[in-house]
Amino acid sequence: MKNSNVLTLTDVLITVVIALVFAVLYSLWDGVYTVLQPLGLHINELVYGMWFIAAIVAYLIIRKPGVALLAEFAAASGETIVLLQFDIVLIMYGLLQGLACEIIFLLYRYNSTKLYVAVLAGVAAALSTIPLDWYYGYLGHLETWNLMLMLIFRIISGAIVAGWLGHKLYEGVKGTGVLKYVGKKQSDSSDGF
Amino acid sequence: MFDSIKNKDTFVHNVNPVTKIIAAAALFVIVVFTHNPNTLLYFVCIMAILLFTLSGIQWRYLCILLGVILVSGLLSSTYMILYGKGDTTLFKLGIIHVTEESFIRGIHITMRGVILSLFGALVIFTLKITDVFYALMIHFKIKSKYAYSFMAAINMIPLIFSEYVQLRRARKVRAPLIDKKRISGFKGLRMTIVTLMSQSIRRAYRLGIAMESKGFSDNQRTYYRQTTFSFNDIFFVITILIALLISSYLGINYPIFNTSDAR
Repeated sequence: MKNSNVLTLTDVLITVVIALVFAVLYSLWDGVYTVLQPLGLHINELVYGMWFIAAIVAYLIIRKPGVALLAEFAAASGETIVLLQFDIVLIMYGLLQGLACEIIFLLYRYNSTKLYVAVLAGVAAALSTIPLDWYYGYLGHLETWNLMLMLIFRIISGAIVAGWLGHKLYEGVKGTGVLKYVGKKQSDSSDGF
Repeated sequence: MFDSIKNKDTFVHNVNPVTKIIAAAALFVIVVFTHNPNTLLYFVCIMAILLFTLSGIQWRYLCILLGVILVSGLLSSTYMILYGKGDTTLFKLGIIHVTEESFIRGIHITMRGVILSLFGALVIFTLKITDVFYALMIHFKIKSKYAYSFMAAINMIPLIFSEYVQLRRARKVRAPLIDKKRISGFKGLRMTIVTLMSQSIRRAYRLGIAMESKGFSDNQRTYYRQTTFSFNDIFFVITILIALLISSYLGINYPIFNTSDAR
């Protein structure tokens, strides 16, 4: 049998398609995010986690190295294709967030589908782009309370929207039975917390 | 893709897609490390001129796009304008505290986004998306399984959309019969995504098997389509470099804001 950790074309295709489903969703989500922005109170950060969900769901389904990164990249560039808007910032952020998830999944050897792994990955993704935001958005020059609000909202969002919701969606898809032939062949019964 | 609103082709249409993407990435880095708002303001103007002259798209569409980009750019930096640190107060109401420094910083962040959006628009108007993947395969030896997966998946997007529309219609018809929770709110969202995803996974699995059996995952391939590098690429890079030089010259010598550092 082939090395079970190598991505086949089918794996890649499934990852990209999952990511593109989310890209369609992201495009709609973009509206929600923009509407929440004007107050400047970072309420929009509460929905920010949605942007990492593709990596987490794709990983839970395929469970192979590189899937999270690929999914995040495909979802970010998929927005380009869906919205017909080429946004290099988005792609950079997507890559960073995918990489952060990837590190968490590596720590669990690409085996675990437990909820807390998904939540950890969501939090890691939420933290991953802060250095970039710091430079790009001059976060250091923000009133401290406002900055704290933003960070807390973002981490909560990473944990709940990306991690928890991502895991829920995975369970939902698993329940439909389409995952029988998909992803790593070995079965695992570690779906609980 | 944009043929119906396009006037003409320009040399940018013949620039290799990889050059455009690398240029965009380089521009991102440059913009993040530019702290002089004057330079950025001039660069916004030059980028807008480049978009209007080089994209070949009818101007009235570009004007609408410009408006959208400006408004969404402003929205994304309200947090800095309203709550940024600064000494010279312009406006204060409750927790809102607009200072001169935070205002300029906010505008600076807006301009960063606007520049990248304008360049992105120029790229997308002059790009064939499939060519991106061919260029990546031919020049950068990206494995064909990645490139063909992307190209196949892109063609599924219309299917995903129409499935979504169908799903919505189906639920509308059944709305009086089923629990409201399953239509709106969280459960509805979850059901929508799960349905769309499971359908797409099944389709992708079938297609993936078919493509593997036809050898799309092998790397020894020849390509019917070709993408090349030419003088157009050099012109394109030089144009951007000149734009950068002009705007930094103007920004230093003819400042518009009374500060040269947004920090």
